[in-house]
Amino acid sequence: MQKSKSWFILIILLVIAIILSFGIGPTGFSLSDLTIPLEVRLPRIILGIFAGGVLALVGASLQGLLQNPLVDPYTLGIASGASFGAVIGYMFGRIGVFTVPVFSFLGALVTMFIVYNLALVRSRITKVSLVLAGVIMSFLFSGIVMLLMVLTRKPLTEIIYLLMGRLNVVFTNELLISFIIIFILSAPVMMYLFSKWRSLNILSMNEEVAESLGIDTQKLTRNIFIASSFLIGLVVSFTGAISFIGLCVPHIIRLIYGPDHYKVLPLSFLLGASLLIFTDLVARSIAPIELPLSVITALFGVPFFIYLLKKRL
Amino acid sequence: MVAIEVERSSFSYDRKRVLENLSVQVDAGEFFGIIGPNGAGKTTLLKLIAGLLKLSNGNIKLFGESLNNIPIAERAKLLGYVPQENFFYFGFTVLEVVLFGRHPYLKQMERPKKSDIDKAIEALKFTDALELKGRNVLELSSGERQRVVLARALVSEPKILLLDEPTAYLDITHQIEIAKILKKLNQEGITIIFLSHDINLTSLLCNRLLLLSDGKIVACDAPEKIISNEIIRQVYKISPHIVSHPESLKPQIILPS
Repeated sequence: MQKSKSWFILIILLVIAIILSFGIGPTGFSLSDLTIPLEVRLPRIILGIFAGGVLALVGASLQGLLQNPLVDPYTLGIASGASFGAVIGYMFGRIGVFTVPVFSFLGALVTMFIVYNLALVRSRITKVSLVLAGVIMSFLFSGIVMLLMVLTRKPLTEIIYLLMGRLNVVFTNELLISFIIIFILSAPVMMYLFSKWRSLNILSMNEEVAESLGIDTQKLTRNIFIASSFLIGLVVSFTGAISFIGLCVPHIIRLIYGPDHYKVLPLSFLLGASLLIFTDLVARSIAPIELPLSVITALFGVPFFIYLLKKRL
Repeated sequence: MVAIEVERSSFSYDRKRVLENLSVQVDAGEFFGIIGPNGAGKTTLLKLIAGLLKLSNGNIKLFGESLNNIPIAERAKLLGYVPQENFFYFGFTVLEVVLFGRHPYLKQMERPKKSDIDKAIEALKFTDALELKGRNVLELSSGERQRVVLARALVSEPKILLLDEPTAYLDITHQIEIAKILKKLNQEGITIIFLSHDINLTSLLCNRLLLLSDGKIVACDAPEKIISNEIIRQVYKISPHIVSHPESLKPQIILPS
């Protein structure tokens, strides 16, 4: 009963988010003309569900795998690595619609392994060294992204959106098809992460105990890194890097529903999706111009991060 | 039947020899103690038997089968491993943690079944920890935690239990409590490898002791043969008094004043 109830509340929240986002905007809402809601707002809702869900799912998986409350795609620098990859992809632009997502994935993957190895001091990883390595790489890649975009004479707003996130992607037919294909490709990858709930639970005890119970922790780490990079690469190639969703959502879920990854992973996906849609709604409603998403997520994310830093380490 | 066979095994770490050319056999049903000074290589030996470290040279067999040839899931059913430090990162309940031990028996996505939960309850009863069932593991005392960790190892129904200083952080009440549980387990036929710094406790519990020093075997025999003034002085560089335990007559050491 407990389980069905928890799903129920989060699904209602998501439905509310979708309805509000569908109905609210500068041109308002009337049933007689649904062009704007259907053509402008619906795509960003779908993108929001995908991006928010993936960010939170990956955040939850990485927090469980690395037993570190401070990690998410953003703090580990994977998101900036993916942005960097995306920019490189843009520069090669004409090869095909998948150039940007593929480069973005590679950027994320390479960053993840660099960060992991930077944090590895005498074959041990501390919670702080991992985040420190992530922040360092994040600075580096953000800097390079800026440089490359300025050199290729991209407008400053593009850069800001790439580094701070947006959902107002203009879906051309070509882009729409690539999005659908990517969505289908990422389904089994997400399923893989969901399927590892028991291993992630056991890892929360002790890596050696997990090994002694028959879990190949090295293989698991490698696979989750690759799966996470893949998903984040795809998301970032569409939305740019969005902060804090991946960090906060799993904590909120664990606080309410307990630490069992059987629940934490799918419920994080649901809450992440709703939160990102709400965030987008705020970002396009409170100011005359549309704000990058990370502006909003940082406003509630940073206090949360400070709280974790003070309390949990 | 031979449960564990370590054959001319060596292990090096960062070019440093930790264990050198070790050979030892443990029969099924033994209560086998491993003692020795800090840095002797006790934990390394235990981890090698558990398959957590790879041998540099030699071979280790469990029930006649080379460790390398045993699939990781089968090994998990054969061996229960309890490390010295047991951290928990998330606040799972005690029952949930004990159920982790059923992992080798469950399929990829399978939730623990009623029968798994029954086994977990049984294990908790065995370690006298049933009343902790619903508690948050982060809030347990050291003694409680140790009983829960033991139950977690038992629920995998291992034939061999590898214990790395299970009594290290416990007061004497809880030490005796754990000792009693281990004795009971041993009587049920589980082979126990008990690593400890507590020479007196190992003398009382174990039928045989392996004394390691500097990665080599000093002696491997009954406690009466190992715990002698001569050997202790040679290995630990102190000269303790050695007396017989008034009840069991096992040798006990009294520290020099």
